[in-house]
Amino acid sequence: MTKKNAALLAAVGLIMIIGAYTGGLIGNGRTAEIQTLSVRGSTTVLPIVQLAAEKYMDLHANVNIQISGGGSSVGAKSAGEGTVDIGMASRELKETERSEYPTLNPIAIARDGIALIVHPSSSVSTLTVEEVKGIYDGTYTSWSELGGEDVRIVVVGRDSASGTREFFWEYIMKKEDFVQGMLEKNSNGAVKQTISQTPGAIGYVGLGYIDSTVKALNIRVGNQEVEPTTENVKSGLYPISRSLYILVDGEPEGLARDFIDFILSDEGQSIVEEEGFVPV
Amino acid sequence: MNKDITRDGKANGSSQSVITTQDVNLWYGATHALLDITMEIKTNNVTALIGPSGCGKSTLIRVFDRMNDIIDGCRIEGKVYFRGKNIYDPDVDVIEIRKRIGMIFQKPNPFPMSVYDNVAYGPKVHGITARSHLDEIVEKSLRLAALWNEVEDRLDQSAIGLSGGQQQRLCIARALAVEPEVILMDEPTSALDPIATAKIEDLITDLRKQYTVVIVTHNMQQAARISDFTGFMYLGKLIEFGRTVQIFERPGQELTENYITGRFG
Amino acid sequence: MAAEIKNPFQGTGGRRIVERGIERSLLISGTVAVIVVFFIILYLFRDAYPAFRNIGLGKILTGMKWNPAGEPPSYGAYPLIVGTVLVTLGAMAFSIPLGIGSAIFISEISPSRLKTGFKFLTELLSGIPSVVYGFFGLVIMTNWLRIAFDQPTGESWLAGSILLGIMALPTIISVSEDAISSVPTDYKEASLAVGATRWQTIRRVVVPSALSGITAAIILGMGRAIGETMAVMMVTGNAAILPEPIMNVFSPIRTITGTLGIEMGEVAAGSSHYHALFALAVILFIIVLLVNSSALFILMKLSERFRPSGKKSLFQIPKIVAPLLKKVLWGAVALLVVYYAYVRGGTRGGLEAVVLLAFSLALLTFLARKSSPRQGQKIVFSAISGSMAVVMVLLGVILYYIVVKGIPAISWDFLTQPPRDLGRAGGIFPAIMGTLYLIGGAMLIAIPPGVGAGIYLSEYAREGKITRLIRAGIDNLNGTPSIVFGLFGFAFLVLYLDLGISLLAGMITLGFMVLPTIVRTTEEAVKSVPQSMREASLAVGATKWQTIRRVVVPPAAPGVITGVILSVGRAAGETAPIIFTAVVFSQRFLPHSPMEPVMALPYHLFVLTTSVPDSLHNAYGTALVLLIVVLMIYAAATVIRLRYRRTVRR
Repeated sequence: MTKKNAALLAAVGLIMIIGAYTGGLIGNGRTAEIQTLSVRGSTTVLPIVQLAAEKYMDLHANVNIQISGGGSSVGAKSAGEGTVDIGMASRELKETERSEYPTLNPIAIARDGIALIVHPSSSVSTLTVEEVKGIYDGTYTSWSELGGEDVRIVVVGRDSASGTREFFWEYIMKKEDFVQGMLEKNSNGAVKQTISQTPGAIGYVGLGYIDSTVKALNIRVGNQEVEPTTENVKSGLYPISRSLYILVDGEPEGLARDFIDFILSDEGQSIVEEEGFVPV
Repeated sequence: MNKDITRDGKANGSSQSVITTQDVNLWYGATHALLDITMEIKTNNVTALIGPSGCGKSTLIRVFDRMNDIIDGCRIEGKVYFRGKNIYDPDVDVIEIRKRIGMIFQKPNPFPMSVYDNVAYGPKVHGITARSHLDEIVEKSLRLAALWNEVEDRLDQSAIGLSGGQQQRLCIARALAVEPEVILMDEPTSALDPIATAKIEDLITDLRKQYTVVIVTHNMQQAARISDFTGFMYLGKLIEFGRTVQIFERPGQELTENYITGRFG
Repeated sequence: MAAEIKNPFQGTGGRRIVERGIERSLLISGTVAVIVVFFIILYLFRDAYPAFRNIGLGKILTGMKWNPAGEPPSYGAYPLIVGTVLVTLGAMAFSIPLGIGSAIFISEISPSRLKTGFKFLTELLSGIPSVVYGFFGLVIMTNWLRIAFDQPTGESWLAGSILLGIMALPTIISVSEDAISSVPTDYKEASLAVGATRWQTIRRVVVPSALSGITAAIILGMGRAIGETMAVMMVTGNAAILPEPIMNVFSPIRTITGTLGIEMGEVAAGSSHYHALFALAVILFIIVLLVNSSALFILMKLSERFRPSGKKSLFQIPKIVAPLLKKVLWGAVALLVVYYAYVRGGTRGGLEAVVLLAFSLALLTFLARKSSPRQGQKIVFSAISGSMAVVMVLLGVILYYIVVKGIPAISWDFLTQPPRDLGRAGGIFPAIMGTLYLIGGAMLIAIPPGVGAGIYLSEYAREGKITRLIRAGIDNLNGTPSIVFGLFGFAFLVLYLDLGISLLAGMITLGFMVLPTIVRTTEEAVKSVPQSMREASLAVGATKWQTIRRVVVPPAAPGVITGVILSVGRAAGETAPIIFTAVVFSQRFLPHSPMEPVMALPYHLFVLTTSVPDSLHNAYGTALVLLIVVLMIYAAATVIRLRYRRTVRR
């Protein structure tokens, strides 16, 4: 009986090993030398780099680009300490990061507008920057105070490691605290998911995340209502925007250089545009 | 189960019989464990069931208070009259039956509670809550079971701490506390030493004055010592049933004689 | 000169060397396991210490604001601790009655031929990975809650509690079912024989006798709830606030584990934020420790009560006080209900639920009391069967959504291709393989020291203070939340040993995570072999090792193998330990050295759900594949166990 069990276990183990081995063969293909490039950081920048990497790898079969998220702080730290080849950040380097990693070199690859999104059923369609701040610092608690229905505002934001939050906090909040009770999501997608399911909710995401499941708010600048579109970001009309960076330690060389050039090339920049960002 | 309800119990039960069975057959799944058992249990007597292991005597005694109900795949046919009523009729509440027919098991099985709570368990589940009334029942039952003097000062201690013989008498007290008319005992002394056994046997003899006792035993001397009637069972059949004196001195069947004289089993 | 007397009983030297060598190597594997245990604890405290020193323990424990990104940052963990406690209590309020009800149903009420079926379904529930629960909770349940209770958002304390409750259910059900089934039939028969109903028998005899096992079940379930990360993080809203009012179950809430899960991967190592997170992990560890120790204490007291010794137990409530206490308790409950009905009448929220619950409970008790035992039994049995039905419905709903929506996504390409377009297209092949690599490596790392330590503890170690300490350490690590292992792996393996985010770091982290389970199941399985068998073997002159190898281990093997496989299943579904140590978002190739990172199914599902818009289709597919992988592993364990049972019966 135990013999049978041992045999069973051995069989399972064997299948797993064989599977892993053949899996390795399929995955690795016929190539002998594989060059690896690791990228880590902001989830806002991630889609651009990911899609660019997919295109790039289609062109160069021997290149393996590994991309993971983590947030801008992680991107800066990883690239600064050399644990990855390329970092991604959705904000400028902080004072502390600049002094700690003096050779860290941010390269702007796109501009990104931050859109305020609400549930599609909301009757509010325009806010001023001050009103947005009022919502996020707790001054307004009901949409009726902003010309909407009497529905409680559900404030949705990003978690504390997010570059988007950092930017939002500096630019909109003027470094004041967010209202307590703000739902914190760890990605743009999670924010959008929640907004799309929740009447009364407001959140902020990159322009690339806007789709029909949510409604993007116009921002009133002076007398003008500015729609969050790539054109308006490009022209500078839309007020809430920032640059997206990839970070390298020193001057990029070899594969890293080639990949960055690819992103900055016309083909790369068309990906930027497809994903709803603004080319540089 | 009851194809024939019209025939009524009185015809079979004399005033002296408390339990009467009629053509009882019982199956465990496909195993035919009891075959056509017909017998009478007389009031205020001790009836012993003897026979080799696996002959169905424990099964039969569990028929009397429907303890076989809790065994999966157990099926029974025939009639068991208790006080003239077939206890397997659908309108019979098994709870009422078990209240009036108590049972003692082979292994002493006191609950892991205090001595007091063990005895008070039955009255409590039957809705007696007054403390003074419970106290009274507990003392009376323990006295009847000849245990009171030994446990009087440790009523609130765990029953698990009693000796085997004491535990079995506690179980008897627990059964007596609900004032049954019949007490079924399934090899009550098989796990006990000779001294504890003697005490239980004395107790059974005393109990006969107030109760009807049915006892399963494979100790033939015990059956001879304490019982008034004896039934000998073999392979699920009741081979012979009669006064104990007659069964042991003038057995009517060769099988019975062989068993009693120790020629098999 | 006297001839040297030859000792006729001197054994051959070789045999003794082998014996000693084996004992040594078992001792070493035991030591490795123990060192790992204490090392993890030590390392946590080491990295937490700067936070306690710089911020102050008091400030962390009582601070009302958790805002590590503020200027200045504030690290008040009070709302997080309260959040953890509330979510856990909510989960328990929901899973204890359901779980115990279902356990009673399975062992006492259900027809015996359905028992195995119900048990299998319950185990199925425990085989669902937590990220799958979280996925279900985020995508489906929060929406239901929002609509059903007309709340601004469904991401709330309630959502977290329901999800954690469901996740704690299998533990509570299976452990209490074991306890209830092992109550001797003697007790049941004795109770039935005096004319008690089945329900009276269950309530007064069976459940009290099984109480210690049931308590253990509750505590184990609670441990699972406290330590759960991914599911909680996905559905509670993660706002670091106290609910207002405190009983508002629709308030968003943030737990310690959720905070660790969100912030740990994105924090700069060595910063004050980093150390503050380790301080949180230590607090979590201590909470779990307290829960486990109080469980042990309660178990000890309970077993004392049933011990034959004449000593009266400390736990017994004096007879006069008991009814009084009962009245006070009921009064308190009533007051609470009235308080919510009137004083807090204005606030929406838990009010309706609380009142409804209290009312239905009161009604049930009243009915059960006032009616005859027989009717009472009917009422109670239908409630118990109802709880089983609820559990089955929950399982059905979760499986239905994942299977029905997952099947369309699955194709040959989906299983054999790398992901494309951020996982919206393409397949999940590297994730499947990554998961297999991870669990394979974890097993290689954990099985030798784990099994060795288990055998050593059972066969060689002398019962004493040190053995007890070792066992306590291992038990505590067994209950330690998986995210804590993730933290350790990140700080020690990834950063300190500089393994980087790599397959190896993930394997070691997962290996350490399952190590305590393997040690304990091995020990239990080996211990359960009767002493008489060992004596019989020793009596014919076998050595200790021969006895262990030929007599003790074979009958224990199925138990050991089952334990190992179950821990593999657990490792396969875990996200929290690998999220900071081993995984990347996307990778086209498989790793060709253990120093490279991998994709993994649970993490891929997590990322698709939370970070990639329009990927729901493939997310369902991934959830289904992950479910199938884990369930296949569990099924293997079940097959081995059943086979073992059959051979024993023969």
